[in-house]
Amino acid sequence: MRPTAHAPLRRRPRLALCLGVPLLLAAAGCGASSTSHAGSGSGTITIGMSLPLSGAVADNSKSGYQGYQLWADQLNAHGGLLGRKVKLVVLDDGFTQSTAISDYNKLIGQQHVDLLLGTFSSFLNLPVAEVAERNKYVYIEPSGGADSIFARNFNYLFFAQPATTQNLPDQFVAQIAALPAAQRPRTAAFVTQDDPNTSEATKLFKDQLAKLGVKSVYDSTYAPDTSNFDAIANAIKQAAPDLVVQGALAEDGVSLIRSFQKVGFTPKTLFQTNSPSDTSYPDAVGTRNTEGVLTALAYSPDAPTPGNGAFVSAYKAKYSTVPSDDAANSYTAGQVLAAAVTAVGRLDQSAIADWLHKNTVSTIVGPLSWDAAGKPKGSLLLAQWQNGKLQIVAPAAEATSKQIEWAKPGWSQ
Amino acid sequence: MTLLLQTLIFGCLIGGVYALMSSGFTLIFGVMDVINLAQGCLLITGAYLSWWMWQRTGLDPLLLGVLSSAALYGIGWLLYKGVVARVQRVDPGLTLVATFAVAVAGEGVIALVFGTSDRSATPSYFNTSFHLGSLSVPKAQLYACIGALVVLGGLYALLRGTFLGRAIRACASSRGGAELVGIDVERAMAQMFALGAATTGFGGAALSVLYQFLPDSQDIWIGRVLCVVVLGGLGSLPGALAGAVVLGLGEALTSTYWDVRWTTAVPYMLILAILLLRPQGLFGITLRREGARA
Repeated sequence: MRPTAHAPLRRRPRLALCLGVPLLLAAAGCGASSTSHAGSGSGTITIGMSLPLSGAVADNSKSGYQGYQLWADQLNAHGGLLGRKVKLVVLDDGFTQSTAISDYNKLIGQQHVDLLLGTFSSFLNLPVAEVAERNKYVYIEPSGGADSIFARNFNYLFFAQPATTQNLPDQFVAQIAALPAAQRPRTAAFVTQDDPNTSEATKLFKDQLAKLGVKSVYDSTYAPDTSNFDAIANAIKQAAPDLVVQGALAEDGVSLIRSFQKVGFTPKTLFQTNSPSDTSYPDAVGTRNTEGVLTALAYSPDAPTPGNGAFVSAYKAKYSTVPSDDAANSYTAGQVLAAAVTAVGRLDQSAIADWLHKNTVSTIVGPLSWDAAGKPKGSLLLAQWQNGKLQIVAPAAEATSKQIEWAKPGWSQ
Repeated sequence: MTLLLQTLIFGCLIGGVYALMSSGFTLIFGVMDVINLAQGCLLITGAYLSWWMWQRTGLDPLLLGVLSSAALYGIGWLLYKGVVARVQRVDPGLTLVATFAVAVAGEGVIALVFGTSDRSATPSYFNTSFHLGSLSVPKAQLYACIGALVVLGGLYALLRGTFLGRAIRACASSRGGAELVGIDVERAMAQMFALGAATTGFGGAALSVLYQFLPDSQDIWIGRVLCVVVLGGLGSLPGALAGAVVLGLGEALTSTYWDVRWTTAVPYMLILAILLLRPQGLFGITLRREGARA
């Protein structure tokens, strides 16, 4: 699962014992070795960040860290920032809020880094953004799209994704609205994991679809550690909706499909958040069963946005895998910071923030611009699994497929 | 009526699977007084082993549970000899901490060996059902439930009809008495622990087909296992079966008729209820054990 605008990192308790420790050591080494360069007026520019390299989401944050590393390597290979090399000062917060706060205070107050970059998840960015704001440091976060983060109207906060959870239903609802009334779904089931992002998104779907005359016939919220979806699937089958919207974060999206198959129910249209963009999704549900499933994306390796192809190639060459949302979002955060610093021409936090509020930055996820609270003004992509590939179907400018399949084929056994 | 019948079918079938997952835990506690918090880790290990063999051989993952169980028998024996027996000699109470430590370390080892992606075995029947009119009977659940009954029956027969079983039951009643009649208690304990781990191997095989799993999935399952054995009565195999069916039905009925959100709270509500109303569990093991020790 990937932390996108609408998805916090999934917690995997204790999983990092094996993965996190080496990363922790690497990160600690990185941070220590860079201390002597911190805060220098000339020479290396130090960029501080604290990431959950160990702890509950260590496995997820690894690709985010790699995105930052690739961005810094490429920047240095092209002469650095303002003619100076950049060095990442990376600390490990273990996916703990108090440690993240402490780390960013340390980066600012003790290591005197020149610039900051953000951590992952709404969970961590919520308190950390306040630290940056208090110290008047520009804080560009690669993930953390919960509305509560932007409700505080911070001046130095910027979100490096095209949109937040609030915009998640936009493209899908617009496509439904564009259908002739007779072809629109009449009834819908809404089922979501009990999570701030998916719950909020599912409620938005429900409210916006209701305005189009789509009647809710099932609405329930399940706990994050729910493993058996048979009873839920059976209840949805009994309600017989035309459309099912699931606020899924990870394997729960796969589990509901499996249970649909067992109870013998295929919705005409199925929209799931997050799960369908996971690399393991087609294997888990069967490639033929992905056909017609819709989702929202913050990023796609196939998107024809400026620089995306080069980024994907470079990432593949360096890490031998396709970049995840996390990797792309980190890279984007770096792009945004570099663009602003370059435009301002000096390490002046206030001037950098002002510039970002007034300008648009071209990134691998498309052009980004922000409102006064640091909320991006763009929209997410609407994607659909077609012939074994996740195609972008809206907006038209970024579409890789011109057709949306509204009638989902039956499950393949 | 259809909805109720369907819900009861789901509850009973999944209850059988829960019983299989919990039998090792209840046996180890019943005989050895060891609360094995590594049970969830053993369960996930069994799931990974079945999945791994299924991937390479294409054989049925439920049948591969036999091989997983053999491997877990060995792991259980090593775990007993290497950790539990040693810690018990120092302070029996420390076995709780030691098995928890094993669970934490084991999770890391599993992640290193198998990675951290979601896994699941998908034989041809994993997402199909038998249909009885408008009712669905999921094949995977049905096969796993039948397997659970076979394994539990076999385990029960072993405990009742073999010398090893009698030795284990003698140790459960009185270790001192067992020693006096010539039973090698240490060996019987090791066999018991290994046997408990082996049954968990079958539970892991069922889990690999029914659910997606990760190295840290043990956190979800240890709560259910605890509920099943507390509900049925610590140490009782028939109790584990009864407790598992009650839990399965409780979850299915809650999900269908009350609120899906409360489903994962059912195990804990049942634990609280049974501790308040009948602390010895449905099958009254505490009374049996006191009687045996008297």
